[in-house]
Amino acid sequence: MEDLFTGSVLIGLLASAIRLATPYLYAAIGETFGQRSGVLNLGVDGIMLMGAFSAFYVVFKTGDLVGGVLLAALVGLLMGLLMAFISVTLSAEQGISGIGVYLFGLGMSDLLFQKLINNVQTVSGFPVAPIPLLSEIPVLGPILFRQNVLVYGAYILVPIAWFVLNKTTLGLKIKAVGENPEAADTLGVSVSRIRYFTVSLGGMLSGIAGASLSIALLNVFQFNLTNGLGFIAIALVYFGGWRPTWVLLGSLIFSFVNALQIWVQVVGLPIPSDIAVMTPYILTIVVLVISAQRVRPPSALSKAYERLE
Amino acid sequence: MTQKQILPSGNPRIDRLEMQGIVKRFPGVLANDHVNFDVNAFEVHALLGENGAGKSTLMKQLYGLYHPDQGQIIFDGEPRLIHSPRDAINLGIGMIHQHFMLVDSLTVAENVALGLPSTRGIMTDLDRVTKRICELAEVYGLDVEPDAYIWQLSVGQQQKVEIIKALYRGAALLILDEPTAVLTPQEVDDFFVTLTKMANDGHALIFISHKLHEVMAFTHRVTVLRDGKNVGTVNTVDTNKNLLAEMMVGRPLNFIRNYKTIKCGNPRLKVENLSALSDRGVPALKNVSFEVCAGEVLGLAGVSGNGQPELAQVIAGLRPSTSGKIMIDDENLTGSTPMQVIDKGVAYIPEKRNVEGLIKEFSVSENLIMRDLDQEIYSRNAFLNMGNIAKRSADLVKTFNVKTPSIDTPIKSLSGGNAQKVILAREISRQPKVLIAAQPTRGVDIGATEYIHERIIEQRETGTATLLISEDLDEIFALSDRIAVIFHGEIMGVVDRKDATLQSIGLMMAGEQPPETKTAE
Amino acid sequence: MKKFGKLVVLLVLVAILSTACGAAEPAAPAASTGPFKVAVVTPSAINDLAFSQSMYDALLAIQAEMGAENFEFVVSDSMFVVDDASSAIRDYASQDYNLIVAHGSQYGAALQEIAPDFPGVSFAWGTAGDTFNLPNVFAYEAFSQEGGYVSGVLAAALNKSGVIGVVGPVEVGDAKLYVDGFVAGVNATNADITVNVNYTGSFSDVALASEAAQTHIGAGADVMTGSAQMVVGAVGVAKEKGVLWFGTQADQASLAPDIVVACQIYDWAVVLRDIVSLVNEGTLGGKAYALSLENEGLKMVYNPGFDLPADVKALGDAAAKGIVDGTVTIGVGGK
Repeated sequence: MEDLFTGSVLIGLLASAIRLATPYLYAAIGETFGQRSGVLNLGVDGIMLMGAFSAFYVVFKTGDLVGGVLLAALVGLLMGLLMAFISVTLSAEQGISGIGVYLFGLGMSDLLFQKLINNVQTVSGFPVAPIPLLSEIPVLGPILFRQNVLVYGAYILVPIAWFVLNKTTLGLKIKAVGENPEAADTLGVSVSRIRYFTVSLGGMLSGIAGASLSIALLNVFQFNLTNGLGFIAIALVYFGGWRPTWVLLGSLIFSFVNALQIWVQVVGLPIPSDIAVMTPYILTIVVLVISAQRVRPPSALSKAYERLE
Repeated sequence: MTQKQILPSGNPRIDRLEMQGIVKRFPGVLANDHVNFDVNAFEVHALLGENGAGKSTLMKQLYGLYHPDQGQIIFDGEPRLIHSPRDAINLGIGMIHQHFMLVDSLTVAENVALGLPSTRGIMTDLDRVTKRICELAEVYGLDVEPDAYIWQLSVGQQQKVEIIKALYRGAALLILDEPTAVLTPQEVDDFFVTLTKMANDGHALIFISHKLHEVMAFTHRVTVLRDGKNVGTVNTVDTNKNLLAEMMVGRPLNFIRNYKTIKCGNPRLKVENLSALSDRGVPALKNVSFEVCAGEVLGLAGVSGNGQPELAQVIAGLRPSTSGKIMIDDENLTGSTPMQVIDKGVAYIPEKRNVEGLIKEFSVSENLIMRDLDQEIYSRNAFLNMGNIAKRSADLVKTFNVKTPSIDTPIKSLSGGNAQKVILAREISRQPKVLIAAQPTRGVDIGATEYIHERIIEQRETGTATLLISEDLDEIFALSDRIAVIFHGEIMGVVDRKDATLQSIGLMMAGEQPPETKTAE
Repeated sequence: MKKFGKLVVLLVLVAILSTACGAAEPAAPAASTGPFKVAVVTPSAINDLAFSQSMYDALLAIQAEMGAENFEFVVSDSMFVVDDASSAIRDYASQDYNLIVAHGSQYGAALQEIAPDFPGVSFAWGTAGDTFNLPNVFAYEAFSQEGGYVSGVLAAALNKSGVIGVVGPVEVGDAKLYVDGFVAGVNATNADITVNVNYTGSFSDVALASEAAQTHIGAGADVMTGSAQMVVGAVGVAKEKGVLWFGTQADQASLAPDIVVACQIYDWAVVLRDIVSLVNEGTLGGKAYALSLENEGLKMVYNPGFDLPADVKALGDAAAKGIVDGTVTIGVGGK
């Protein structure tokens, strides 16, 4: 047991964490946009399932990976629009409507799966695409630059999201709508247009998150493939204090601890499996509790905005 | 196109704005009934009226938030349709809302830039915005720090941000919705200096208010709205406070207020070295001590957010104190539950009447008897005695002049003034020993304010010790026998009404020790 | 009007959802007499290539034996929420089904509560050995350690790297028996082989199962096995990396024809057949069953697409025979 934890093991764990964090990142970054503008979309997991199925179906039938991602994005976008319609146009209670969207996605993805495919199948998904030169860098190369395209996409998304939120007029509008929609409205910023945009964008990214599972990481689809992953993503948005870089950090910590607990079990360290599998969740909760006092959520989060009383 | 005059801000001037025959209906209400209104450059035009008279509705139509059912809006002779705030902004209209439309978590520059196209396409151009803010600030004497976050600013500074925001957007006409409600007297003076300068430079200003002395001191013309109609537009120099009040209410009002010097040996309510924390866990009250005698109104003046709600809540048993004690007639009330406090004879009119005072969805009668439900005339063995409840409620509604369609109407359909009367009826019909009245007339129209004031004075005559917490100095001066001032959770001093001046109280509200205290120490 | 709009949307959502849930049910029976009617509640999808599918396949087999006119069944699958499952069980019980199968050990407590309320209806549940001493409850389980042991023997014989990986779901019941049997089989064949075992804490976390498989392979495993519906994730990784796989509960060869060596399959038809005849004779419960290699409820199915050397297969057959005749002791779960 003395040489268990070697450098190569650590590299493996980190590469594993980078991979595992991918679906969380897409979903959580998308959800960050929605929540910054004041919409809590609890339907992420359902949208991911629909995205996962759509992408899987395209690849299963045609082998077209890009087409799979595009359909997943489109389906996610449409589900995001549905959520926006319910929560923005109809001003329905966001928690309830999100759960509705989740259940819809859960049921609908399974229904389509039963009707169109009907048994568990595998496909060949996105292959590992090492980035020339960078992938040869010792240590960092294998961790960061020997992944598949959708993994890279998730990490490129983080600085883009940061830039949009902090450096663009759109980001300013999103933050204002989430903090004080009335003020934004009086300045000619359309609250509903912004919220439609962020929630649809969130839906689209959740769809891609699903695709990253079904055609890049797991290459399989079955009922409830995500297994609640979308809800963890929402928790990560809170942990990240609604900031993309912190969401990235949270996703990586959660994924790393998950990879670590698997490794700990595999090498046979005497820790009961029940305890090991709990650690990522305990960690997330602990961090949430600590960070809750640190960061304030957007003031208008989960509140519908109606100009006329 | 005629060439427009340019204001010092660089914005084109609006010489004349007219609103003609404006009609606006809401379900069941005629909010504006053929209203005519106009304002010119170089003018401050006051728009006066009680709550619900239609002032805000009229102005929201000018600002594009509502759309008139009939009538037209004419800029410098050209009729215009205003579909949205954006249209209004493009026409040169700015609105300073009563509740500031600022995003706390953003900086001044970000708030100003919000919603405007950037010179750098999708990227923000905050450095250029900052530069322009500084220019405007200098021209109009508005000192603001562009990089400061809104939550770091005082209320007065936030108002300056609002003005800059409007000017930045090219405002030549400013709508000011009750702009002084949140300011200290000194800040009000500052504010008027700014506004006067703006009017002299050629801006057109619409000043919505119900504070008659401000209207008299500072405007050129006054338009009074009542029940959605324009009941008259007059030159300010040709009118006076009493005439304006009569126009607003439609009948003569009592402005009789007399105060007395109280001498009491044993105070009824005694607060000693009381400290407490705010919701955020920081000290909100620091060693607060004062006494209120039977038959006395003690006014507690102070700018919003200096510990007033916390003080009321601690006395009412709703918030724990960290030290000190509260005595009523030598009985210790510290740490009592709200029920025990009620039983000791304390009545409480809370500041947030829709949150702490009333259940909005419940009916008038349910709200009226809520506190006394356990008494035998209302319930026996957990069953409500509906007959007694209805009878008692009907009595109270009549006695306290609550305007409601029925006792079964939900509170949320009542106006602010009538909702407040329901609380007043519930609280003072109990003949309390102590009355804590927090902002009792906030958001309440003049008629109801007059009524509530009369009732508070009436209680004083029957020997109730009243603590009147108010941010409205007119109210403090009108009702109090003595005035205490709270600042940052500390009592700055207590003075007799006869010795108090607006100036001295205002200084204390801004945190200065009164001269007596200074010499005493 | 707005409230109405919200209501409509929610109703539509609920309606679509319920269609989705009910979609997997074959035609429901209508007549009240005549055919033997069975209702089954399963925790995962009936095409999960694992636990739920094993029961579904058995129902189809019985139906083929008895004829569709004599045996009808309905399945509510994907009932991973126990509360939903228990109301489904209660619904079926009040709709004159002859037998209600609660296919999941997590349904036990619900069944114990419901069964006494319907003394005329027969219930079966598993995997478990406990009939709660109720006269109308059957219990069934599988000695899955037996097939696990055989797979372990085969795995050890095929192993070259000295490391074998096991992706387990939750360390209880059937899954634990299988895993422990597998480990015993490996150890009995070659004690020098390291068997790495991990549990993901879930039956359905495909992503974690996949990552666990990666980790096992990273630790040197060239043969793997695993249990529960989540293993499709692990099979996918095994396929990609060319690592051999042993399945259990259902035939998983279709997922990865090149690397699946053999699967232990559950043939619940053995149990169902006996329960049907008992119920028809008027015995509504009280008996506990166990699938085993001996009663042929458990079978080793070899993937015809995998070229298994004859000498290795002979080792597996010998182990199976030994378990049946009692000459091999697994040392797990009383076997």
